Amino acid sequence: MSFLSLNSLSKSFGGLKAVDNFSLELAEGSLNALVGPNGCGKSTLFNLITGSLTPDNGSVVFKGDNITGLSPHQIARLGVGRKFQVPAIFEELSVFENLIIAARKNRQSISLPALLNQIKLWREQNQLAGELAHGQKQWLEIGILLAQGPSLILLDEPTAGMTASETRETANLISMINRDQKITVLVIEHDIAFIEYLDCPLHVMSKGQILKSGSFSEIRNDDEVKELYFGRSQETPLMGSDIHA
Amino acid sequence: MRNSIIGIIVFSVLAVCPLFVGSYWTGQLTNYLVYGLLAISLSLVWGYGGILCFGQAMFFGIGGYVMAVFTKGMIYPDLTSSYIGLIAAMAASSLFAVALGYFLFAGRGISGAYLAIITLAIALVLERLMSNWYALGGYNGLLNIPPIKLVLFGLSYELWDIVPTFYIILGLVAVIYFAVTFLVSTPYGLLLTAIRTHPDRLSFLGYSVLNIRLSVFALSAAIAGLAGALFVTLDGFASPTLIGFTLSTEALIWVAIGGKEMLLAAFLGAIFTRVAESWLSEIFGDYWILILGIAFMISVVLLPKGLLATPFEKLIGKKRRAIPPPPAEGDPSPARPLPPTPDQ
Repeated sequence: MSFLSLNSLSKSFGGLKAVDNFSLELAEGSLNALVGPNGCGKSTLFNLITGSLTPDNGSVVFKGDNITGLSPHQIARLGVGRKFQVPAIFEELSVFENLIIAARKNRQSISLPALLNQIKLWREQNQLAGELAHGQKQWLEIGILLAQGPSLILLDEPTAGMTASETRETANLISMINRDQKITVLVIEHDIAFIEYLDCPLHVMSKGQILKSGSFSEIRNDDEVKELYFGRSQETPLMGSDIHA
Repeated sequence: MRNSIIGIIVFSVLAVCPLFVGSYWTGQLTNYLVYGLLAISLSLVWGYGGILCFGQAMFFGIGGYVMAVFTKGMIYPDLTSSYIGLIAAMAASSLFAVALGYFLFAGRGISGAYLAIITLAIALVLERLMSNWYALGGYNGLLNIPPIKLVLFGLSYELWDIVPTFYIILGLVAVIYFAVTFLVSTPYGLLLTAIRTHPDRLSFLGYSVLNIRLSVFALSAAIAGLAGALFVTLDGFASPTLIGFTLSTEALIWVAIGGKEMLLAAFLGAIFTRVAESWLSEIFGDYWILILGIAFMISVVLLPKGLLATPFEKLIGKKRRAIPPPPAEGDPSPARPLPPTPDQ
C-alpha cells in the first residue's frame, strides 16, 4: 500500500485542464521532487491534495484513507503539512509564537528550542516574523510545518528568492528532515540545482500530466525531456548548477 | 501588565467622575459607558478577529429588544427578572451571530469589503423589520422599559437613581473589559492574531477557521447584546434606531478613532467622541460632524492604529507577549506538553 496515492486526478478551470488524469504513488519516508514550467499544474496539484480544491475526477488516498473532498484543516489534522510559494507565516507574531500555534496541533510533545536550532532561528525567536529576511521566513514556514508534526510535507518552491548558500542549507535541512525524522516529502521547485542537490526521484510535469519520471541523471539525459520540455539546446537548466559553486 | 495598570487607572478616573461632574453628566457618562461596551465588542471582532462588521448595532439592538420584552413581561408576565433579561439578551445576540456567521464564514467565506457591505445590509434589513413589527412597537419602539432590578439575598433594588446606576454599569463594563483583555492575552488571542493575518495558514495547520471566527463573532455579539440590554434600561425605551445603520457607523468611527486593535483605546474612543459631540454640537451645531469627519480621516490616514492607541502603545510597549520564549540558548529543554486550544 502506498503512503500517498494520487489516482487519475483531473481539475479544469473553464476550458483549461490544469491537472489532467494525473497519477502518482509515493512510498512512506520517500523524498520526491516535481518540476515543471509555470502553469503546468504543480500548485493546483498541491491544492487538490490538501483540500483547497476538489478534483473533477480521481481520488487522493493518504495512508489508506480516501481524503478526497475533505477540508484543508481536516487533511492537516491527518498529518499533511503544506508550504506555500510565498512564505505563509503569521507576520504579527514572533517566531516562537508562530511555532507555538503550529505545535498545539501536534499530538506529540515537541521540543521547540531544538526546532528553533534546527531551522537556525534561535537568535530571532523573539523577533516579529514579519521582520525576518526572506530566506528566514522560508525556514520559519518549514519550522511551522515540523512543529505541526506531519508525516507528509508538501513544499512549494521552498528556495524561491534565496541566495545560493541559503538554497544549499535548505536542501540540507529538507534532506535531514526526510532522513532523520522519516517524513515523506514532495517538493515543487524551479531551481534545478536545488533538485540536483536533493538527489531524489524526479517527476517532470507538463500540461497537467507527468511527462517523465526518473533519477536526476536520467531526466537530465532524456532526449524527450530536452526536446519537448526544456527545448533543443544542450545548455538546458538541467546542465548547469551553481549549487556546488 | 502595563496594559492592565492603565486600564485600572482609566476606570479609577471614571469612578471618581460623579464627584466632580453634575448629575446630568453622570447620567450622560453612564450612557457613554454602554457605548464604550459596544466599542469593546467591535474592537474584539474587528481589531483582534479581523472581521469588519459594519452592522455591529444589530447585536446591540437585538439585545435591547430581548431585554425589553423580557422585563416588560411580554414573554411571560411573571418572568421579568433583569438577570434573565440580560442573559437572554446576550444569548439571543450570540445565537443570531452564530447563525449569521455560519453563512458568512462557511466554505471559502466572505471577507473584507464584501463582509462589511453584507453586514451593513443585514443591519438595514433588521432596522426596517423592527420598524414594521407592530407587536414590538413598530417605528415608535417599546416604551416604559423598567430599569435594572437587582435582587440579592431576598433584597431587591431598582436602579432609578443616577449615581448607583452609574457605578453598577461602570462595574459591569470594567468586568467585561478586564475579562476580554485577559482573553486576548491567552493562546486564544494568539489564534485571533493568526486568523487575522493568515487564515489559510491556520487552516493548513489543522485549525477550523470557521469555528474560531464563529466563536469570536458570537462572543462579540454577546457583549454588544449586553450593551444594548443595559442601554434600554437606562433610556426606558427600545427603538429601531438601536439596530440599524446610524449606530453601526458611529460605533465604527469611535473604534477607528480610538484604535481598533486596543480594547481600552476603542472604549475611550467611544466615550471621548460622545463627549466631544455634546460639547462641539453646542458650539458648532450640526457642523460638529465635520470635525468628527476630520478626526476620522486623520485617524485613518495619519494614525491608522488610532488617535488614542498610538500614544498608548508607546506607554505600554508595542508587543504583547502571550507566551514566554524558551529559557536558555544552546541547551534545548526537554519536550513539554502544550495546553489545549479552544478549537480542540
